[in-house]
Amino acid sequence: MSRAATVMMPPAPNREDIGATWEYLQAGISKIMINLQDGMDMGTYMGIYTAVHNFCTSQKAVGLSQAGSGAAHRGAHLLGEDLYKKLIDYLNDHLADLLEQSKAHAEEALLTFYIREWDRYTTAAKYIHHLFRYLNRHWVKREMDEGKKGTHDVYTLHLVQWRTQLFEKVSEKVMSAVLMLVEKQRNGETIEHGQIKQVVDSFVSLGLDEHDSSKSTLDVYRYHFERPFLEATSEFYAAESTQFVAENSVVEYMKKAESRLNEEEERVRMYLHQDIATPLKKACNKALIADHSTLLRDEFQILLDNNREDDMKRMYNLLNRIPDGLDPLRQKFETHVRNAGLAAVSKVASDAEKLEPKVYVDALLGVHTQYQGLVKRAFNDEPEFTRSLDNACREFVNRNEICKAGSNRSPELLAKYTDVLLRKSGSGVEESDLDAVLTQIMTVFKYIEDKDVFQKFYSRMLARRLVHSTSTSDDAETSMISKLKEACGFEYTNKLQRMFQDMQISKDLNQGFKDHSKQLSEKQPLDSTYSILGTSFWPLAPPNTTFNPPAEVQDDLNRFTRFYKNKHDGRKLTWLWQLCKGEVKTGYCKSQKTPYTFQVSVYQMAILLLFNDKDVHSYEDIASITQLTPDALDGALGILVKAKVLLQKPDSAKPGAGQTYHLNYDFKNKKIRINLNIGTKSEAKQEEVETNKTIEEDRKLVLQSAIVRIMKARKKMKHNVLVGETISQIKGRFVPKVGDIKKCIEILLDKEYLERLDDDELGYLA
Amino acid sequence: MAASETTTIRLQSNDNHVMDVDKAVAERSLLIKNMLEDLGDAAASETIPIPNVTEPVLRKVIEWCEHHRGDPPATNEEESDTRKRTTEIEEWDQKFMQVDQEMLFEIILASNYLDIKPLLDVGCKTVANMIKGKSPEEIRKTFNITNDFTPEEEEQIRRENEWAEDR
Repeated sequence: MSRAATVMMPPAPNREDIGATWEYLQAGISKIMINLQDGMDMGTYMGIYTAVHNFCTSQKAVGLSQAGSGAAHRGAHLLGEDLYKKLIDYLNDHLADLLEQSKAHAEEALLTFYIREWDRYTTAAKYIHHLFRYLNRHWVKREMDEGKKGTHDVYTLHLVQWRTQLFEKVSEKVMSAVLMLVEKQRNGETIEHGQIKQVVDSFVSLGLDEHDSSKSTLDVYRYHFERPFLEATSEFYAAESTQFVAENSVVEYMKKAESRLNEEEERVRMYLHQDIATPLKKACNKALIADHSTLLRDEFQILLDNNREDDMKRMYNLLNRIPDGLDPLRQKFETHVRNAGLAAVSKVASDAEKLEPKVYVDALLGVHTQYQGLVKRAFNDEPEFTRSLDNACREFVNRNEICKAGSNRSPELLAKYTDVLLRKSGSGVEESDLDAVLTQIMTVFKYIEDKDVFQKFYSRMLARRLVHSTSTSDDAETSMISKLKEACGFEYTNKLQRMFQDMQISKDLNQGFKDHSKQLSEKQPLDSTYSILGTSFWPLAPPNTTFNPPAEVQDDLNRFTRFYKNKHDGRKLTWLWQLCKGEVKTGYCKSQKTPYTFQVSVYQMAILLLFNDKDVHSYEDIASITQLTPDALDGALGILVKAKVLLQKPDSAKPGAGQTYHLNYDFKNKKIRINLNIGTKSEAKQEEVETNKTIEEDRKLVLQSAIVRIMKARKKMKHNVLVGETISQIKGRFVPKVGDIKKCIEILLDKEYLERLDDDELGYLA
Repeated sequence: MAASETTTIRLQSNDNHVMDVDKAVAERSLLIKNMLEDLGDAAASETIPIPNVTEPVLRKVIEWCEHHRGDPPATNEEESDTRKRTTEIEEWDQKFMQVDQEMLFEIILASNYLDIKPLLDVGCKTVANMIKGKSPEEIRKTFNITNDFTPEEEEQIRRENEWAEDR
């Protein structure tokens, strides 16, 4: 420093002499500006303050201002303008000097120079601000109160001069030094980042609000620091990422990008202004992610195929940072899950006819569980991804290789699996785990479109479990029904619940009947139980054969009927013989001391009881006594013959006219209890076909009632609008075909519920 | 800052009288406060020259500062505005200001110089109260002012300020 010599203070000036006063002040200011490190004594400090005070309070100032502008002041004339102007001149000289000196420095040296001079300058400014306080309090305040622009308090004046005289001329060079330093750090070198922080602070300090000096703005900082910083950042990462991607795998790149993004956040914390955080993030996101998003997304399928969960999580986190970054991922994910589901089904579908319901449902569940886990762990359990998963599952649950035969297969198999679970000794699932498995069933159920098909099969199988009392537990049954109710509402499970109630009522009824019989002390030939089931709730059809029950059964039946009619007058009882069963004991077998017990259908019972009277009956006799149709009779007889309870003569394959049946006295079996009440395969098959047939018919009714409901509410409607409305109402139960809806509309037109109006409109006829 | 409360500093009037004052008291003067801040503790041991104030006035000012050492600093603009508007002066200050006219004006000048705004206000209010309710002639008498207006000038000024007359 050329001016480093100790500044000698001139003698205290005459208060009215601006020349002398300024000479004195300038010496003091220079001391502060340049030599403050040497310290300052009280005398000088007080001297400068007093000089300013005295000048401003002098009675007749000698100077420039007196001549013209003085008259503009209202009230007392305040002095100070001359000092203010001299101060500006001094600062400008000082700053011009600094500018000259700065040219000798570059890069880091320039940064050091800038920071040193900035510190020195602002410290001095604070001093001078205090020393010129008298000027601030009076002349400056008056100027500002009068709204004069361009007059600032002394400290602000320093900043303004710094900005206009030095900063605007060197800021670019300073900034490029900053950027070089940052680039060095980005390239792994250690840097003195405190310097950058100081530069940032300096740039921020220079943001003065022209209208209110007590406020500051970030304009200067934004223009001179933030803008070039962001540009340099974008450039750097554009170049780096392009090169990195060319030389490394995408997975490696993701790791790199991730660490770079973290670094930049850390950089903001360490030495940048918080204001840059958001735009910097944006710039990095663009250069590091958005510009490579196609490449990243192309890799996604590979990651999915190889189940690279960590990398997918990484990709999710990266693409989540840019707008619309994840949409293509979700699409790919959806397609992938759908294909995985279809593949899983194909694997088990090799023998569609013999497909175990459990195997099928497990295949569906397996895929769902796997990808739900992936959504949770890698995709932040995001609702959008969950929706993609749901879409995919709905697709492969309802439309897969198994469903090719008919879209009812999924709900049917699901209902069958549920039946296996809820039936005694069916599944091998522990009762404690049962509820968890039922919850899984509900997961698949949620995706089933034809919920009405499930309902049909479920209620049939529930009926069978209840009638034959083969349920694992009432708790499990109620739990399942409440799950269905939760998913589909009261209406969906209403009948199922009524079936349950009927069973409870029947139990009480039987107890009543037994007590009643005891009271009458009637001898009971039979130990009997009756189930009274409401026709409209149970999916059961009357027997498709005539039947003349054996006398023993008929007696008991009559007494029960009387008992029941007495209680509930006017109810019609229809006996569903095909569901009745009983047990009979053999008292005739030679080889066995303990009699065998046969579990038989009531038809078989009727046949066997005939042999109490004689050992041989002809086919025609049996038929005429039991009144069974050939179909029912042949089935019942067939099993008895096959089990060798009866011997058929002549021994042709099928029962029929002309054959005779002999009681087999030499009957032998390892078991004491023998179940002869076996449904045949064809019966089960037939039931399935029937169920499916009723589904189609029921759907027509559901559609028609929906159409009538809509029309009743709207009175008039365009044809296509009605179709749309119907679909949206029915969707929860099954997906209706437009053709079916049109057919139903035709039917309703014929039945004159609806009429055709002009312009493709339909009207409701009350 | 309990320690700094008890620190004593030394002031020297322009007629070279030195007096010891508690730092907290002296800092009622913003000039001294700022200076001590700027120059730091090292400077606090030096004697502080007060070139514009004589010993009796300085003592008087210090007396006021002693009494008001605990006053909360008036930071709020509005607060100082209300203080400006009222001419009420608290009792102690009234007694304090019962001095001859010359001393009164010396105190006002010193408080302006030393940057002790509340004292400056009290002084100005005291003068204002002396003017209040007086005719120009009485005011001239009070402050010993010779009338240097011509009768024409005086008439013109009276007309210009008619609106302010009590009627």
